[in-house]
Amino acid sequence: MKILAKSPWVVHFNCNSCNGCDIEFLACLTPLYDLERFGVLHIGNPKHADILVVTGSVNHRNARVLENVYLQIPDPKVVVAIGVCTSTGGIFADCYNILGGIDKVIPVDVFIPGCPPRPEAIIDGLVQSLEKLEAKRAGKKVAPARKPTFTFRPPEEAEAPVTPSPAGSAGHGGKE
Amino acid sequence: MWSDWETISAFISQACPGLLTVIMVLAAPLVGALLMGIDRKITARIQGRIGPPILQPVYDVFKLFAKEPLFLNRLYIFYAWLYLAFMILVVVLLAMGQDILMVLFVHAFATIALILGAMSVRSPYSRIGASRKIMQMVAYEPILILFVVGIYLSTPHPHSFLASAVMQLKQPLLFTLPLLLPAYFAAVVIKMEKSPFDVSSGHHAHQELIRGVTIEYSGPFLALIEIAHFYEVFILFLIMAMFWSTNLWIGAGIALAGFFAQILVDNASPRLTTFWMIRFMWAGPMLLALCNIIWLYGMGRG
Amino acid sequence: MGEWLLILLILAPVAFGLLAWAAPGDRSRGWAVTVGALATIALSLVFAVTAKTGESWISLADLFGGRTEWLAFGLELLIAIVVAVIAVRVRSRLILALALVQIGLAVAEEWFSLRAAPALPGADFRIDTLAIVMVSIVSIIGSIIAIYALGYMKHHQAHAPATAQGSGRFFFVLVGFLGMMNGLVLADNLRWLTIFWEATTLCSFALIGHDGTPESRKNARLALLINSFGGVAMMLGSLLALSGSGVEHLSGITAANRALIPLAFLALAAFTKSAQLPFQSWLLGAMVAPTPVSALLHSATMVKAGVYLILRLAPGFTGSRVMFAIALAGAFSFAAAAALAVGQSNAKKVLAYSTISNLGLIIACAGINTPLAYATAMMLLLFHAIVKALLFLCVGTIEQKIGSRDIEDMGVVMFELPVTTLMALVGMASMLTPPFGMLVCKWMAIESAIASPLILLFLILGSALTLFFWAKWLGRIQTVSYHATLTREKLPLSILSAEYILGGGVVLTAIMGIPLFQILFAPLAVQTYQGIVISAESLSILDSVGGLDICLIMLFIALAAIANMLTGRYFKPERVRLPFLSGENVVTDARTFRFRGLKDEPDEAWTTALYLDTVFTETKITQWTNWLAILVLLTMFALVVGI
Repeated sequence: MKILAKSPWVVHFNCNSCNGCDIEFLACLTPLYDLERFGVLHIGNPKHADILVVTGSVNHRNARVLENVYLQIPDPKVVVAIGVCTSTGGIFADCYNILGGIDKVIPVDVFIPGCPPRPEAIIDGLVQSLEKLEAKRAGKKVAPARKPTFTFRPPEEAEAPVTPSPAGSAGHGGKE
Repeated sequence: MWSDWETISAFISQACPGLLTVIMVLAAPLVGALLMGIDRKITARIQGRIGPPILQPVYDVFKLFAKEPLFLNRLYIFYAWLYLAFMILVVVLLAMGQDILMVLFVHAFATIALILGAMSVRSPYSRIGASRKIMQMVAYEPILILFVVGIYLSTPHPHSFLASAVMQLKQPLLFTLPLLLPAYFAAVVIKMEKSPFDVSSGHHAHQELIRGVTIEYSGPFLALIEIAHFYEVFILFLIMAMFWSTNLWIGAGIALAGFFAQILVDNASPRLTTFWMIRFMWAGPMLLALCNIIWLYGMGRG
Repeated sequence: MGEWLLILLILAPVAFGLLAWAAPGDRSRGWAVTVGALATIALSLVFAVTAKTGESWISLADLFGGRTEWLAFGLELLIAIVVAVIAVRVRSRLILALALVQIGLAVAEEWFSLRAAPALPGADFRIDTLAIVMVSIVSIIGSIIAIYALGYMKHHQAHAPATAQGSGRFFFVLVGFLGMMNGLVLADNLRWLTIFWEATTLCSFALIGHDGTPESRKNARLALLINSFGGVAMMLGSLLALSGSGVEHLSGITAANRALIPLAFLALAAFTKSAQLPFQSWLLGAMVAPTPVSALLHSATMVKAGVYLILRLAPGFTGSRVMFAIALAGAFSFAAAAALAVGQSNAKKVLAYSTISNLGLIIACAGINTPLAYATAMMLLLFHAIVKALLFLCVGTIEQKIGSRDIEDMGVVMFELPVTTLMALVGMASMLTPPFGMLVCKWMAIESAIASPLILLFLILGSALTLFFWAKWLGRIQTVSYHATLTREKLPLSILSAEYILGGGVVLTAIMGIPLFQILFAPLAVQTYQGIVISAESLSILDSVGGLDICLIMLFIALAAIANMLTGRYFKPERVRLPFLSGENVVTDARTFRFRGLKDEPDEAWTTALYLDTVFTETKITQWTNWLAILVLLTMFALVVGI
């Protein structure tokens, strides 16, 4: 009997995402998509959760928080990474503080690509993660998810070396 | 003939003494879970969603038992057990027709156990939740005691506090306690952790204080709390059904009406702060309850 | 035999107190106090066991064959003169005036008693079940506190201000207090009652002022002032009893056909002693004294004198409207003091308000004046004495350890003082949770108050507020975490043994609550109300207080404990997680949980309980409730004169 798959409770952690993926994830809970019909509850507390949904490109500082949240979820648990940032760092991949994928911090079970992914894709990913959740409960060895290789990265910017602009001068358009 | 509680209970206790208690203790969590499942379904429909299956609360509990028991200290786990044990005890005492004031005290202590469990962990959310839970108790506990007083005054001379005396009433409680029904309903809304009073561990609002008092319970220990809550739901509506104890079907109808009403209230109201809760409860429902009791004394039932 | 035991019960503590005063060193003083305490306990036990069933009367005149009235008059005058001398020394005109009034009243009373023989004969002392129960409470609990004080005072004197009195005098007064209190509960002659009444006032004055700081001197003066006022009320009451109905005994007042005016004055005196509103300020001030003093004043002695007096008088006035006013005053104090306690974070203040509140409940029960209510009042009196003694001792130990009496600072005591904290937990739990006696009492109190709605309403409000302030404190003190390395407590034997005995007593009374009720208090109530017209209803409730509910509660607590033990196999170190703080936890030591905040700096996760001090402001509530309490007292006097 699929005990765990019938009531997966989700905790959502934002590792400095741009909020695009977060909004798409929350859209899944709206009447149009209604994740709760699968028994999914959006719970704010890792100690109650089964699925850790992560958005955003993890950086050096919140990596520790991410790990802490992950450790506080009781086993069996799965991690669902939403958006391209979580797999490679996405458009932030070249930033000095980005680790480049949350799989460098915690094991990931499902990657959902997209920037941001559509709610249908997120629901699909969550349903896939449920199978892994049951497999983990049955004691089977579950291999970590294969990481998507592509990344959103304009080619010309990717080649050019990043030159940090002098502090205080950038981003205040109009004066220059 | 099966609308009369006395007939049923007499029949069952003739068949096997103590069977009634066992049946009620076993049936209570199922009924409670079913009610909560219906609650979630109706709430979903009100919000234009499909909603989870009716049996979702049962699935949730089974799931929680399959999880790893993480914990923080041993003390608060004991309080979770106490919470459950006292909720079961309330059902046992009611089934045995014991003193209803004692039932109320045991029920209150079940909640206190939850509060103490929440306060024994060093988590700010848990503590704030516990403080708010105390405020909730201060808000509704006087009403419940007044309710018990009302029941006492409604029983024929010599008055009695026994729950079994309520079942032998010749006329429904509602005739003598008409104002206490809405007052009790307000208390039920608090006890069910429904808006506008879902301040300490919201039934639907999982983000409010990250579920306040239950925050540090995980896996099977959370399941204990959930089961105790099933019992509590059962108890609350069983007592509501007692307002029409002469006919079980009408009593069940009142309880169901109250149940649907609290779902409506939950979906139609915003969350109040704890202070507003106290002000509202003491100015409104408490006043209603008081008027009812004064009226009873005025009728010379004292 | 009984008469000599009685005199020993009064004089032995005083003698051992003198011995302790005269003792040259700490060690010998310790022996004197310990032996004195044990002797007092032994005496009270022998007294209780050998006492005849029913009432027995003892007159000093029979014993000594002389004119002992002169002794009584002399002592009464002497105490009033001592109060006057103190008044001059502390420069208080009010106290001096009260002392002079007392002297005048004593002389007037003597003049009256010489002029006409009393209409109703009586004895100086009376021994009955109520007196025996009271003597046991006073002697046993008081002696335990005296033993605790040995350990406590060693630490206290080392840190005491230079103005503090020597511990010799302290122990003399502390132990002698018990003798005075024994005399008070045994006296039947109003004159002897007044003597012991005033003697306890003097004892509390000396103990409260022990530290000699300006604050403690001020509060000692306040206690003397209010209690002297009570003394005047008492003497006025006995004078009126003598002049009006020719009665000079307590038993006479209850027997004389409705001696309502003396009753009202004695009730007023009882209210001052029991620190009922509006006289509560002296008991709050008394917390500046060393903790054993607070424990003694709050549990076994002093405040119990007031409720004892009400309990003694109540059965003679069933159905009287004055008794209703007394019940109302008590119920009002119950609710108002609970409301005052809600806004307090000072542990001793919370305890003080809780004492006032509980005494109000006892007085309310006594005023309701049915057998059930009477038995409830007796049980409350017993439980409250044990629990309050235990709680004060624990708070005193905690205060000496952590250097604070703020409740919010007590989150660490589980690590520092595991045993004391456990005892405090037991004590606090017994104030609000089943199966402990307090809850059973509250249950019975509400059931017996059902005939008087106004009192019932106060009881309900008070119960809700009581829950509020106890739950907050209980929650704070029991905070623990799994990785805790508990410190081994290094406490003096006297402190530990006192805590253990009282903690054991609390648990024992919880288990024995219903048997005690059925064996001791219910028969006592029935016997007290024998021959007095009471409704059959209240007697039937008395029968219906069965043990079934309590047994079931204990069974279910045991089931929960067993279940918890069975889950013990899940408790493995690798499953311990820190609390969820919505971020990264920083573990520095076992006591604090911190998270990484701004700039990666550790930040403390910290919340306080709700005190609602904007609503429950002490000064504001005190003002309002005092006026209302005065109104209730005036109502009482209005009822007496028949308006």
